[in-house]
This record gives sequence, structure tokens and C-alpha cells, in this order.
Amino acid sequence: MTTELRGVPAASGAAIGAPWIHQPAGPQRSARTTVPAAAAAAAAELEALAERLRAEGQAAEAEIFDAQALMAADPELLDAATSAVDAGADPVAAIGDTGETVAATFEALDDEVLSARAADVRDVCARIARHLVGAAAPRLHQRSIVVAVDLPPSVTVELDRALLAGIALEGGSRTSHAAILARGLGIPAVVGVPDLVRIATGAGELAIDGDAGRLVVEPDDGVRADIAGRAAADGDRRAADASFAALPLATSDGHRVLCAANIGEPGEALGAFAAGAEGIGLFRTEFAFAGRSTAPNEQDQADAYATVLESAGGAPVVVRLADIGGDKPLPYLPIPTEANPFLGVRAIRLAASHPDLFPTQVRAILAASARTGRQASIMAPMVADADDVALVRGLVRDALAAVPDAPAPRVGIMVEVPSAVLLADALAREVDFMSIGTNDLTAYLLAADRTNAALAARQDPCHPAVLRAVARVVEAAAAAGDCEVAVCGEMAGDPVGALLLVGLGVDELSMEPSAFGAVKRAVASRTIDELRTLGTAAQVASSADAVRALVAA
Amino acid sequence: MAERDVEVRNPSGLHARPAASFVKAAGAFAADVRVTNLTRDEAKSASAKSVLGVMGLGVARGHRIRIVATGDDAEAAVTTLVDLVASGLGETIEEA
Repeated sequence: MTTELRGVPAASGAAIGAPWIHQPAGPQRSARTTVPAAAAAAAAELEALAERLRAEGQAAEAEIFDAQALMAADPELLDAATSAVDAGADPVAAIGDTGETVAATFEALDDEVLSARAADVRDVCARIARHLVGAAAPRLHQRSIVVAVDLPPSVTVELDRALLAGIALEGGSRTSHAAILARGLGIPAVVGVPDLVRIATGAGELAIDGDAGRLVVEPDDGVRADIAGRAAADGDRRAADASFAALPLATSDGHRVLCAANIGEPGEALGAFAAGAEGIGLFRTEFAFAGRSTAPNEQDQADAYATVLESAGGAPVVVRLADIGGDKPLPYLPIPTEANPFLGVRAIRLAASHPDLFPTQVRAILAASARTGRQASIMAPMVADADDVALVRGLVRDALAAVPDAPAPRVGIMVEVPSAVLLADALAREVDFMSIGTNDLTAYLLAADRTNAALAARQDPCHPAVLRAVARVVEAAAAAGDCEVAVCGEMAGDPVGALLLVGLGVDELSMEPSAFGAVKRAVASRTIDELRTLGTAAQVASSADAVRALVAA
Repeated sequence: MAERDVEVRNPSGLHARPAASFVKAAGAFAADVRVTNLTRDEAKSASAKSVLGVMGLGVARGHRIRIVATGDDAEAAVTTLVDLVASGLGETIEEA
């Protein structure tokens, strides 16, 4: 019988496949080998996994499994589990309970780094348990929709990507590991589907629609035809997009725009360049500050920034100063409760109340720059006026005095506060580049809270007001002379948005690397004159929908 | 038996990669080596050859640890591990 389930859309696309249920190995199956033998097999498997990831250039992921391999071989873990078995416990239960005790110890230490490692301990013990019962490694035999309550990283990286058609989770969120993986692979994912595992167990077929957040168990012919048609169209489109990924970002008559990547972790830089990036247009640095109980010091930050400058090999890298605010307060960076953190004391507005935060970060960026011999571009978020620019210039001046052997950085600002758009002529004279953050700019211009799903229709950056703001910033930069304009919001990675932005005259589009192919293919289909005409016409359209209709015409 | 105290000064303490370096170095000795985090809990010790045990001591930068070894190469084990910790376990030590 056809059953339709609803969840949260987490990765775009549509697919049909057999459900493959991931069940953590439980004590219901009996052991067929000893704990030490199972642990040795698990450790060997983890080492091989780390090796493979390193060979694929995923150094950060590889380190997770290096650490897990060491845990699987840990003598205290094995002694404790073996003693329990000797005392009469079931081996599968023994390794699970021992791991749980260790994980609980980590969580009790009130140290965020260690708490995060508790998940690794549980993951390792689940793997040892799997070897104990002689269960095969998770393996897909046909095109499958993977179904689970949650999917640990060790399972996701081992699944055969050629057969992985989609991911559906009972728990999870758009930012969980499995959802990120799905978006990276270009397969659909739906998360937060109530009672999913029970309903999908025993089903023959599952259809997933990652755009609508819909799952259909045992789809009927109508649903099958709809999903199959979309999947085929998606496949054709992806193949066509992929053929453009490595080409320059240019119009059909050769007008070039720099194609840059947005990254949020140092380890993502290499992959971005491999995917066809010509620079890093937005290196978010919040990762260095999140998930810890004390502020990161200059050395730690410099190491992370140097990794990216090194990976870039001389290509431009725009490091954005920490965009921290009351929406995600940090234990060491108290921000009084605010009614509206997105209009609150966030980003560079924290400079006054936290006098060490930005001097340390700017020194770290320059130290990384000095160490690698690569020029960095420093970008300040939430700049509202010339005084804010002067503050950033002062930070850079002071840091250069402390790190005199660093190459002088390019200094730029995010344009996301509407006042910066109105003052763009004055600001453009003071900076080397401006990067328009269209997500926040759209929310602020249209007074539509990004976190309010009921306002989703009012958050389209293709709105004529946003286009006029972009045009105004481009004009201001041109008048000032030596100032480049980039766009680093999601609009840059949307083919329709990218066409409009190129037509409006921006110099650089910075996006998720997975969007390169689609954006390059779209831009290559038009001449620069066509896009300029489009950019002008779109500014007098009546709504975002009207703009999109104009682009499609 | 050999015993020395040392302050952990590398940025991430005995977490993650530094803990792995420490445990791998300890594993090269025949001696039984135990570690105590004097700053957090003097009564609790862990085997220096157990990465889970060492991580479970919650050693952060600035904590003092005690390394105690018993066995044939106890002296060499303690000297090697103390030097390794003092040198930052592969991380750069920043002067306060």
C-alpha cells in the first residue's frame, strides 16, 4: 500500500530505490569471535579507511578514522570488555557497555572537545560489535535509499556511492553529516521523518523527493512516473553541468568572471580548487571559535589559516573575520540576551565589548600570511559605515606592526547592512574589495527574518530591490576605481541569480563548489550584452517572481 | 620505578592528535606507565598506553601531569614522555 511521509528537505533531487535500513548492531545477535579478534579487525578496517580518505585528499576526515583506529586497539577498552566477558557477560553487550562507560566519562568532563569524541567511542564500539557477530560491512546491493534514525560518519563514508540513491533519516537536521554528504554527492535527502524506520522496514520500494521533503513507501505508478521523470531530468542536467565544472566562468562571448568557493573549514580548500575554484571568495572562520570552552589562541588560528593559504598556492583567499552573534553565543564570549540577535551586537560590533577578539584574529591571519608568503584578503562582516571601515583598517595597521614580515593584506568588507549599500560610494574609496552577502542583505532589505519559514517567499535574492542594491554597489566601485565587487551569498550559486549578477557587472561569484557546473553552464549560454540588458530590465520588474520569469523567457 | 611531573603547554592539551602521539610513544616501552592529571584529580590515573584512558583524564593546556613508570626501561620511558610533552607533542607552544 502506498504511504506518504513528510520530513524536512535536506538535499535536492528525486530518486527511487530499495530501502536499505541501517540498524546499529544490537545485542540480539550472538558473538562468533572474541573481543580482541573483532577489535583487531575493526582497527585494520579503520586504518584502511583513513588511508583511502588520505589518498582522496580528505585529510581532515582521515584523521577522524586514524583516531578511531587507535581507540579500537585501546588496551584498557579491550581489557575491560574481556573481563566482563570472563565474568559471564555477552561479548556484544560487553563491548557496548564498556564503550558507553568511556563515552559517559568523556561527556562528564565538561570539555566540549572531549564530549564530541564520545560519539567516536560509540561508533568504534559499534564497529567492534559488528565484527563480533560476523555481520558484513554495510554494503548496498542495488540502488538504495538509505534509511536510519541517524547515520554515523563511519557508515556514510563506507557506502558504495554508485548505488547510494538517497538518504532518509528519522532524526538529523539539514546540517547533519549525512545531509552534507548528500548535498556534496548531489543525491536527495529528507530528514526528520517521524516513525520512518518502522514504516520503511520490509517495504520493497521507496521514492524520495528531496525538494519537497516527501517520501513515498511503495509508490504507485503515478508517483513512480513523476519521480523517475525528475530523476532522469536531474541526471541529464547534472551530467551537462559537470561537463562545465572545470571550464572558466565566462559568457558565450568570453566575458570572464572569477569563480570562487565558499568554505567553512580549512580542509575544504583543496577540494574546492580540485572542483574548479579560482580562489576562495569566503573563508568563514566561525569553525575556529565554535565547540570549545576557551577562545582559540593566535597560534591555533594561524595554523588553520595557513592551511588554506597553502592550499590556494597564490590564488586569492578572502578570510572573513568571525561573524559571531547572540544567535549562537559562545561560553567564553558572553553576549547579553537580545530580542533580535541579527540586529544585535554581532560580528565587528563585538570589537568594543571584546577588545582582544579581532586583534588576535587579524594577527593570526597575518602570521599565516607571513609563514606561507601568501597575501591574505581580510574581510569584515556587518560593516555599516566609514567608521566601521576605519576600525578594520586600524586593526590591520596594528597587526602589521606586530607581524612586520607579513605581506600587506587586501582589506575589504561584506555588504549586507543596507546602510553600506547607501554609503557604497564612500566605502568603496576606503577598501580594496566589497563582497555582497545577498542572504543577509535580502533579509534586511525586505525585512524578512531568514529563520522564519513562513516568510520563505519573501527571501528570494532575485528581488528587484536586491538587484538595485547590487547595481548601486557595482557603480560605486567603478567610480572609486581600484575596488572589486564580489557576491558570496547563495544567489551566486543559483544559475538564475548568477546570470543577473554577471549582467549587473560583478567581478566575482563565490559559491559552494557543488554549484560550479550549473552556474558556469548557465552563464556560458548567454552573451554579456544579453545579460546586461537582462540586468537592466530586471531592476524595474515588479517582484522576484517577475524577475525569474524574465530570466527564463 | 621512575616518576616526574610536567606541565602540558601545547594548545590542545592531551586531546586528539597530541594524545595519540603520547600513547604511541608510551607503547614503545616495556614498562608499565601510568599518568595522573594533578590539576584535575590526583586520585585518578590511566595507562599511558590507552588513548581512551589518557583522553579521559581531561588534560587541558596549563594542567600538570605526573608520569610514573615501573619495569625495566622505566627511566627511559619517563624521560622520553616528559621530553615529548615539554616539546609540545608536535604542536607549537605559544609563550604566555
